[in-house]
Amino acid sequence: MKRIPPILISSATIVAIFVVWFVVTNGGLVGPTYLPSPQALFWSFMRLLTNGYQRTPLWEHIGISLFRALCGFLLGVAVGIPTGLVTGYNRLADAAMSPVMAFIRPIPPIAFIPMVVLYFGLGEVGKIVLIFITSFNYAHVNAHAGAAHVPIAYIRAAKTLGLTPGQIFRKVVFPAALPHIFTGLKVAMALSWAVVVAAELVGAQKGLGFMISDAAQVFQIPVVFIGIALIGFIGLALNMVLSAAESSIVHWKGR
Amino acid sequence: MSSSLPKIAKIMYRKSAPYLAHVQSRSNVGRAEDKVVLKDVSKNYLKSGSSGDATLAVKSLNIAIKKAEIVSILGPTGCGKSTAMNMIAGFELPSQGEVLLDGKPILAPGPDRAVVFQQASLFPWLTVFENVVLGVKCRGVSPDTYYNRAEHLLDAVKLKGFEKHYPYQLSGGMQQRVQIARALISEPEVLLMDEPFGALDSQTRLMMQELVLQLWVEYQPTIIFITHDVAEAIFVSDRILLMSSRPGKVKLAVSVDESKPRGQEFLTSAKFVELQASLLTALKQEVH
Repeated sequence: MKRIPPILISSATIVAIFVVWFVVTNGGLVGPTYLPSPQALFWSFMRLLTNGYQRTPLWEHIGISLFRALCGFLLGVAVGIPTGLVTGYNRLADAAMSPVMAFIRPIPPIAFIPMVVLYFGLGEVGKIVLIFITSFNYAHVNAHAGAAHVPIAYIRAAKTLGLTPGQIFRKVVFPAALPHIFTGLKVAMALSWAVVVAAELVGAQKGLGFMISDAAQVFQIPVVFIGIALIGFIGLALNMVLSAAESSIVHWKGR
Repeated sequence: MSSSLPKIAKIMYRKSAPYLAHVQSRSNVGRAEDKVVLKDVSKNYLKSGSSGDATLAVKSLNIAIKKAEIVSILGPTGCGKSTAMNMIAGFELPSQGEVLLDGKPILAPGPDRAVVFQQASLFPWLTVFENVVLGVKCRGVSPDTYYNRAEHLLDAVKLKGFEKHYPYQLSGGMQQRVQIARALISEPEVLLMDEPFGALDSQTRLMMQELVLQLWVEYQPTIIFITHDVAEAIFVSDRILLMSSRPGKVKLAVSVDESKPRGQEFLTSAKFVELQASLLTALKQEVH
């Protein structure tokens, strides 16, 4: 028997899902208010593309969500990675920071929503601050772990080569922590994207999170499903970008 | 501590082979021509979780190594030979006694004592060339100087053409040759080799040992070679210090009077075979 290529099996799964979906919706097994048919979803999507949603073009909803997520993500990473590396490398910095970090870490980011609204209002700043907290948290904890687990042989080799503590930090600890850093980036990215949707559910006028919650209130069920699917595809694309960056930058990982 | 004393005493007074010179436990170490000196050095490690109970890794260790001498520290696993090396490298400080380089105490690692590690310690994010020149580059040596030195060394360790490879693209033997090049590029006065060829197959190991002797002829560093392999110790050394099992002390010192570099024919010479037999006998008493 010939080996079946994995891509064929994966494609078959997708086709099977569409077939089942088509049959149950068109056969009247599930009502259109619960699950729209594939063709209904397609036409709704076409209408969304041409007319937008609530007088805002679809690309603008996508764009504003991406803008908020990426701003918060990048700010969180820009602060989280350096501080994580420092607390992972330096015993004193670790002792100073660890009580705060240990307390903040287990709090789900969405629990901060009420206070963020109170402090920053319903505008862009509040949402970006919320995503910043999320992204910082995961970027920090992974960079910390990376810096704290640099093999002792690397540090010793660097010292015998005459590197100064600053040089060891920049040229050994940082690159050695890169595999951990990328793990943190991927988690931070996924959660930034999740939190932006959650943040837009309350008090936003634009964005994919706003679109799905608003559409659900007026029973535009196809729009809700399209929003969910778009959130899924964009999340996947963001993860793929980071994975591609990881395999080219951390080329030694797993070898 | 007190409960472990009788055991230490037993090891201290264990008799070694009669035809080999005994090493005095308190010799007159530290003459002017000595490069590296360990004077009455003891090192104990606190056992984790216990109340102040310590493991004695080495006890009253006296070693003096002359400039440009190749000395092997030979002993069974856990005899403290790596502890001795770590103290010379400056990774660890002695609990008692002094570790001296040119008469000055060793307090930290530094480029005057290059180390070839047993385990992979090349930086996987740097190419072979970048690994070799990292230290000199960071210390501000001019590229004109280190570039030529690196080219020459990579040629000497037979890695020409592999400059742009990453460590994971090389075999174990090649990786150790990169480590040797990285160690020698600063032209260190002392080269510490911590079981550098332990993970290599015997054929590669022999080639590496010959390479060490060839490089010694050119650079003439003082080499301290840590090994548990008797044949390796004889092949590369001017002098072999056999250590007793924990707590480690120098049990006997043996000179190998043979010019360097040495070839494969030395392995089958009467002198080699005789030394090997006596060292194996002495080592056997230390392995439990």
